Amino acid sequence: MATPNPATGLGAIATGQLSVVGHALPWAIAVAFFFLAGGYLSFGTQVLIWILFALSLDLALGYAGIVTLGQAAFFGFGAYAAGLFAIHVSSDPILGHLIAVAVTALFGLVTGALILHTTGVTFLMLTLAIVSVMFEYANQATKLTGGDDGLQGVNIAPLFGLFEFTMFGQTAYLYALVVLFIWFVIAWRVVSSPFGRSLDGIRQNPRRMRAIGTPVWWRLLAIYTLSAAMAGSAGALSTHATRFVGLSVLSLFTSGIVAVILILGGIRRLYGAFVGATIYLLVQDWSAKVSPYFWEFIVGLMLIATVLFLEGGLMDLGRVMRSVLGRIRKADSK
Amino acid sequence: MRKLLSGICALGVVAMTGSASAETFKIGLIASYTGAFATWGTQFQNAIEAFQSIHGKSVKGPKGEIIDVQLVYRDAGSAGPDKAKQLAEELVLREKVSMLGGFELSPHAMSVADISKQAKVPIVVMNAATASITRGSPYYVRTSLTIPQWGQAIGKWAAENGIKKVYTITSDYAPGHDAEAYFHKSFKAAGGEIVGADRTALRETNFAVYMEKALQAKPDAVYMFQPGGSPSISFVKAFSERGLKQAGIKLLGNGEFAELYLPHFSDDVIGTISVNHYTETNTRPENKIMRDQLIKQFGEKGVTDIASVGAWDAMALIYIALREHGASADGLKYIDAMKGKTLASPRGPIMIDPEERDIIQNIYIRRIEKVGGKLQNVDIATIPMVKDPWKIDNPVKR
Amino acid sequence: MLSFALTVLLDGISYGMVLFIISVGLTVTMGLMRVINLAHGSFAMIGGYVAGYLTQHGVDFFLALLLATVAAGLLGALCEVTVIRPLYRKGELAQVLLTIGIVFVVTALITEIFGAFPYRVEFPVYLTQPLDIGFRTYPAYRLFLILVGGIIALILWLLIEGSLYGAKLRAAVDNPRMARAVGMNVSLLFTATFIVGTALAGLGGAIGAGILSLEPSYALKYVVLFLVVVIVGGEGSFKGSFVAAMALGIIDTTGKYFVAAAAPYLLYAAVFALLLWRPQGILPPKSLA
Repeated sequence: MATPNPATGLGAIATGQLSVVGHALPWAIAVAFFFLAGGYLSFGTQVLIWILFALSLDLALGYAGIVTLGQAAFFGFGAYAAGLFAIHVSSDPILGHLIAVAVTALFGLVTGALILHTTGVTFLMLTLAIVSVMFEYANQATKLTGGDDGLQGVNIAPLFGLFEFTMFGQTAYLYALVVLFIWFVIAWRVVSSPFGRSLDGIRQNPRRMRAIGTPVWWRLLAIYTLSAAMAGSAGALSTHATRFVGLSVLSLFTSGIVAVILILGGIRRLYGAFVGATIYLLVQDWSAKVSPYFWEFIVGLMLIATVLFLEGGLMDLGRVMRSVLGRIRKADSK
Repeated sequence: MRKLLSGICALGVVAMTGSASAETFKIGLIASYTGAFATWGTQFQNAIEAFQSIHGKSVKGPKGEIIDVQLVYRDAGSAGPDKAKQLAEELVLREKVSMLGGFELSPHAMSVADISKQAKVPIVVMNAATASITRGSPYYVRTSLTIPQWGQAIGKWAAENGIKKVYTITSDYAPGHDAEAYFHKSFKAAGGEIVGADRTALRETNFAVYMEKALQAKPDAVYMFQPGGSPSISFVKAFSERGLKQAGIKLLGNGEFAELYLPHFSDDVIGTISVNHYTETNTRPENKIMRDQLIKQFGEKGVTDIASVGAWDAMALIYIALREHGASADGLKYIDAMKGKTLASPRGPIMIDPEERDIIQNIYIRRIEKVGGKLQNVDIATIPMVKDPWKIDNPVKR
Repeated sequence: MLSFALTVLLDGISYGMVLFIISVGLTVTMGLMRVINLAHGSFAMIGGYVAGYLTQHGVDFFLALLLATVAAGLLGALCEVTVIRPLYRKGELAQVLLTIGIVFVVTALITEIFGAFPYRVEFPVYLTQPLDIGFRTYPAYRLFLILVGGIIALILWLLIEGSLYGAKLRAAVDNPRMARAVGMNVSLLFTATFIVGTALAGLGGAIGAGILSLEPSYALKYVVLFLVVVIVGGEGSFKGSFVAAMALGIIDTTGKYFVAAAAPYLLYAAVFALLLWRPQGILPPKSLA
């Protein structure tokens, strides 16, 4: 890569084009939401959790080009780890969160080491197999996971001994926001580092990267593990915020939806996760009132349109509109 | 000029009702309208609307005030309990409901226990039947049934009526476990032998394997427990497809054979014995009122089932509680109002257990017969005023 | 004991036949066009729903099957021309996501039209009864599946090994560049094959409705099974998909009989182990082996 292309998210950050205002805006909105949300606060927490989840996928899928449909395995692993820790060991949220992230990272490391040498459809199938194994196992291990009934009795102690997790959701929201911010900074640092740039190269042409001596497999393993840790963190957040873990955290559907969210928002943008998660959850919430399955139809169409016409996702909408308008103007002037 | 007149009239109406000013009492109803358990939402809603057509959409409170009883319906989509919990939070925080109701699935009912405690909101369970639900929070009251009431009744009846060996195939979730446990207990206590027991996945629709295993064990009867709807229909189809009926094995069931589902079965089910707390075709006057109203309002779709009677009686109890305490009382006061109350329900006499806040009612054993060209459940035995056996076996530790 | 073992085997084979009929189209198109098509289950689902609708309204069973097959094939043609063709050149990710989008759209439409309750195909009475096969009775339906599956497998095998179309197909799978170089109309081949594949899926969905029950979540629920057959068998390998389908059917059924609770996750664990051992599948076509 000679000069960073300002059009891509990576390039934009690299060339400093995303101004301070641009960066501050999403966080300002998130903080403002806390004060204005009223009864919608727990909805906001859900959005934050899905943003983190999608962000984790952006690292693996968007930047490193690891086409996985198994991200829910890490989300679910982190969620159950946090829940089981709270029930059997300690209900302290910070400790539980750290443990959940650690064990999920380990899980990511092990599975990544096993499967990252494969590519294409075989790799995809392996990721699907992992999620399926975990889902089916959790489904029948009812003594451990509660099965279909879900993990009951998850009590989370107040954060720092002071801030209780109630159904009104204030603690959960701020907690999720802080966790998301920390991970975002980590992700940003990673993708703008030389390591991150090498991932870009690996995604585009792994053979060439190997030829110049890059340890491709190790780099992929590293980013896969980081991505797993982030997804596990999102899962732990989910458990702490809702004080409940259901089988859906491990479902194939969840795995698919997070990929959908990322594509809709725009991959390799980091902020694409923000846009995608917000739009998706809003669409789902709004259209659920119209009809319970209408949102599936809308999301399906959006997905098809995005793949065919809007490769950079919704974040790219501005650029695409401008180029379309530009072409129209050129045709007019002829 | 006309506008001015109608404006004055409107003011006058408001002024007149002002002294008995309208308050609103909002109830959030969480049930499934889509997915595998899609019938429950509609059944609850139809029964509630029918009830309100007869008894009115408002109640008079203790001070004579008019209380508008409003229902807000949400679809749990036959999804996991986290969905039900999320909907409950939304209903309490956004819609500001003062009471939650519905819940056809036990995991859904159980998931809202801590919301009831934090928001101090009563939960009226209109179907979910796992015995331990009402212990989850002092805000639970149930108007439907507990599975042990069913399992115990049919286990005992089977052993006392010539069935010696039974193979049980029950669904792998809390109500299924209850059914299996209590059938086994009462069947064995009355001298019967359990020759095998299998648990099937909650949304299983392919029962070939289980039928085959049952056939190999050569029982006198198979006891099934499946959620009503597609799993039970597939189960019964597999039962005759795989030759169990031909082998002379009887089928014992529960709510799978409600009147609502009978049209989906072939004549193969004639002779099937089932246990239930509501026989739809009973001739009680209260039942006639409910059934007639439902047919009047919903035509063919007005078939009554245990969802209808659970919701109907729940509304009756809620109206009683509102009459006693008004629209803005503390949640526990409404629960207190319902404790110990007896009602002449369309199903028979019922009482809300004052200690457990759970239902005490008649349990009926029925056989499927062809009456007037249609498949129908016909009562062959009644066990009066059964208290939940699980509560008796597991008293609250003092 | 022997009769029990035979029953388990027959159950497994009949299940495998359904998986084969549905998945064979997918393995050929994935091997031929190198497109990951997660929407393949939707064609099976549509075939099933069409057959269900027709048989519930009194149409003759075999006519309904024919119409279901044709309907799925037509929809396949429509899809191929409009949304699948642009995918040939785009990467895996685009293919995965666009076909997921198709699944969502189809699922929502099916729910809207037919409702969320499982949908029944009305099989003729003689197929819903057990048949006396000598030493015991066995469901006629399952025997029917084995018969139909066997016939289709035979026809396809003769087609692929013995006909000109089959030869072209094998050539294009083994070496697409060479195939184009010798002047084969590869895009016509793609379209024709895609249509045959989706039509077969529609047939499989229709006759398999007694095992893979029809409901709106069909396409999402069973896509993993179809992908397992394709990938474990080896993309593009007809023989591989047959073997994989049989293996999947028998292992899954046997598992349910003996280790009922553990069966599902043991199955996926086995798939995982197998793919690590043989990433190209157990019987991959020549160019990939």
